[in-house]
Amino acid sequence: MATQYDADVIIIGSGALGSNAAFELARKGKSVIILESGERIPRWKILENFRTSSRKSNYNDPYPNAPWAPTSFDENYITNTGDFEFLPGMLRLVGGTTWHWAAATWRYTPNDMKLKSTYGVGRDWPIDYDELEPYYQRAEYALGVAGSDTDDQNGQGGDPWPPRSEPYPVPPEAPSYYYQRLKERIGAEGYHFIHEPNARTNQPWDGRPACSGNNNCMPVCPIGAMYSGDVHASHAEAAGARLLTDATAYKLEKGDGGKIAAVHCRSSNGDDTRLTAKYFIVAANGLETPKLLLISDVANSSDQVGRNLMDHTGMGLQFLADEPLWPGRGQIQEGGIFDWRDGDFRRQHAAIKHALTNKVPNEAVTRRLLDDLIVGPTLDERIRHDAARWVDISTTFEMLPHQSNTIRPSSTYKDALGIPTMTVNYSVDNYVKRAGEVAKKDFANFVRIMNGEVVEDDTGWQNRDHIMGTVIMGDTAENSVVDGDCRTWDHANLFLSTTGVIPASGVINPTLTGVALSIRVADTIAKEV
Amino acid sequence: MTFSRCLLALTLTASVPLLAHAEDTGSKPDTQQSGEYLAKAADCAACHRAPDASGESYSGGYAINSPMGDIIASNITPSKEHGIGNYTELQFKRAMQDGIRADGEYLYPAMPYTSYRGLTDDDIHALYVYFMEDVEPVDNAVPDTELSFPYNLRMLMGPWNLLFLKDHDAQASKQSDAISRGRYLVDTLGHCGSCHTPRNALMAEKDDQYLAGAIVDGWHAPNITSDPSGIGHWSQDELVQYLRTGHVANKAQAAGGMAEAVEYSLRYLKDADLQSIAAYLQQVPPIRNGQALDVSSATKTTPQASATAFEPVRDNSPEALTQSDSTDGQRLYTAACASCHQLHGQGTQDHFYPSLIKNVSTQGDNVNNLVMSILRGVNRQIDDYTVAMPAFDDQLNDQQIAAVSNYVLTQFGNAEQSVDAAQVAELRNGAPAPWLIRATPWLLGLAVIVILLGIVLLARVLQRRRK
Repeated sequence: MATQYDADVIIIGSGALGSNAAFELARKGKSVIILESGERIPRWKILENFRTSSRKSNYNDPYPNAPWAPTSFDENYITNTGDFEFLPGMLRLVGGTTWHWAAATWRYTPNDMKLKSTYGVGRDWPIDYDELEPYYQRAEYALGVAGSDTDDQNGQGGDPWPPRSEPYPVPPEAPSYYYQRLKERIGAEGYHFIHEPNARTNQPWDGRPACSGNNNCMPVCPIGAMYSGDVHASHAEAAGARLLTDATAYKLEKGDGGKIAAVHCRSSNGDDTRLTAKYFIVAANGLETPKLLLISDVANSSDQVGRNLMDHTGMGLQFLADEPLWPGRGQIQEGGIFDWRDGDFRRQHAAIKHALTNKVPNEAVTRRLLDDLIVGPTLDERIRHDAARWVDISTTFEMLPHQSNTIRPSSTYKDALGIPTMTVNYSVDNYVKRAGEVAKKDFANFVRIMNGEVVEDDTGWQNRDHIMGTVIMGDTAENSVVDGDCRTWDHANLFLSTTGVIPASGVINPTLTGVALSIRVADTIAKEV
Repeated sequence: MTFSRCLLALTLTASVPLLAHAEDTGSKPDTQQSGEYLAKAADCAACHRAPDASGESYSGGYAINSPMGDIIASNITPSKEHGIGNYTELQFKRAMQDGIRADGEYLYPAMPYTSYRGLTDDDIHALYVYFMEDVEPVDNAVPDTELSFPYNLRMLMGPWNLLFLKDHDAQASKQSDAISRGRYLVDTLGHCGSCHTPRNALMAEKDDQYLAGAIVDGWHAPNITSDPSGIGHWSQDELVQYLRTGHVANKAQAAGGMAEAVEYSLRYLKDADLQSIAAYLQQVPPIRNGQALDVSSATKTTPQASATAFEPVRDNSPEALTQSDSTDGQRLYTAACASCHQLHGQGTQDHFYPSLIKNVSTQGDNVNNLVMSILRGVNRQIDDYTVAMPAFDDQLNDQQIAAVSNYVLTQFGNAEQSVDAAQVAELRNGAPAPWLIRATPWLLGLAVIVILLGIVLLARVLQRRRK
């Protein structure tokens, strides 16, 4: 008698990656169950939570932090043992952390994916750009990405790059005055400004309205112009997928023939459920995914699960320009300076991205003035003056994978469901530190060109919430967790949809690549199941 | 060669000189050009579209939501296998004006053949030439329309046609050119009455309620007679602007079927034709249907509260941050609507997000369009941009949509109106069934008699024609 399964495919995690895989499988007629540890919350409610929050700059604050489904800002969520306080802002709800990303949707370049063979450092991807390109295309159409078809995204002012089979689905938005002025003045000294492809659609797309510049991408887009994973969670449900909320996966059960037989999940009141499927996709982000594999003792014959943690660890620069630039109009990110995206220097130091932050600066401006004990009418005047001139540059660095940068289940702390929390050991290597010195020279140039008054040019290392490498992709079962199809080497029916598979980080935000890989996972599984 | 192919060949031969002319100048022959324009004016594309927005024009498959069930729009590209590629001009004319397909089956009156009945022979010819020669054939097989019994019996349309398919009277010629052109555009090509004229028990348009307003698929197609409860307070320019863009600031915005009419048809019409439509509507005999509606002087009904009054006290518990079943209309409005329509319902200064105060959808005495806009959102493609309001049907339940609607009505709109959850549920699940559908089980017996009578009548008519 044929084995009965609860579903063809069970997907753990309803974020952008899991939901896109779920939708692709469901619309091909596969039976799909999505497990989500958090709840479904409508946008209006999250917006209300944001408005009533007294911690506006805490991007996790509008979202529930439940003992049974904690956000990463829960006290014992991560215990750091390295010299860097690693703490990304991860969420638990239907749609995942893309509720408060800023929707940067870059593609890697061919060189990004062949770092080792091109520059002799780090690792190569086991697949090349041409294999991923059609999936980038599909991911961009799924998310409604606005981008420039003419930019050289390598930042050298050359022909359009990387290669595309189709134009971007949505044209780029108009640049703000702030962006235009910085580009005019800093660009005049040879720095290349590149528009940032983004999933904050500027024309109606897939039921989403056009961005109207609420400038609130983080922590929540008030109108849903910015893509978040709940879009495809809903699409997947409409196509027949079952979405189970308050269902935290805590164990993958091994079966016969090296396959995964079942997933065990637990609800907030402690009820356990065992669900079986022909295939499993773990799409629980780059931290929870390796944690689940390690707790379950699966997929780790290489001992690479939970190693090679990378985060585009960054630095920042804030200064007051000599002219009003009016930051805060339009979207919170627009692009940046990409001169250090690719080149022979990558043999010596990390690639660098300087992103212009276009967020309304009033809070940061006011905090600074109050710290200087400025009050009364002078305070009002200075807020107006400084907020108009505030320039904020968020710099990120390419990381290399290291065995010693790890995420492990905590041996000390457990959450309310009795599931271990995490221990992270993370430090920044010399490849990045050398790039940091280069970035600081750029910072000095930017300040000089804009005749600026420095507010902060030595922030130390900062989190960038781009979690990669933790379930690394490679070309042999000995050195990696998954193959080029995101299939675990150890279990033929277990796939991982997470940016954690990325083996060479480049310097761009990895979510679009994750969605592209996830759609590719769905295609692979659909052929087999 | 079959007879129909002979006819087609003859037709094609007839148009050879025109085609030769086209090659000379690089422009389309007049007949085809006017055919394309007529197809826009007749709004063929709004229904005969693909189910998917990216599908080819006229390739069909779109499900038209009718009270009898989904009517699947046919493929009217000249595909020989799946479209109308084998239609003769005569067969085309019969479909357009008698509601009878090439294979002799009756069409349902979702196809507005009762309106197209008034098309001139020249326009029929131009449309035929356009569809045969200018539209690319798309070999897209469209599923059959499958209504439930007894509406799956297309022969029922025989007696229905005898009762309701009338020739258009010719007294238009007595009026000025603009008025008669407007009338032709409204009655014949634009088939405005198919939405704006209420229907009788047998789903035919009521002549004595011509353009006096009706409910279509849940949306309220308002009274567009010259009465103050209709378009009596509209200027001709406002009407033209509305027809072209679906938007008149501080007055009205098109959604639902009217947004489709603007998107697929009206925005393509020449200014003179839009002026004619407006001029004609302004002299359509007034019919009072509801209260007089002049929103230009509407003001917010209650004084403005301070912004802090709109924010509930924060409770940090995960349950409180998750719980989203509030039926407090003010809370819902503040969080779900005010980002665009603004806290006091005034919309934005540039009217991109319209005022909810000076707005026929909130000030009128029919609440359907308010509720439907919330449930389904708004989507209207205009020449250089698309207007879109997201649908809230998956964010707000029936009680919540009723609550937020009532908040809008009491704060910004017609406070005498209200919405209850049952109304929302009905609109969410499809418009309330018309009398005919509700009465169907009891009527089936009667229907049999009607059918028999119809057959008898039809037989007699046919006999007479043969004589």
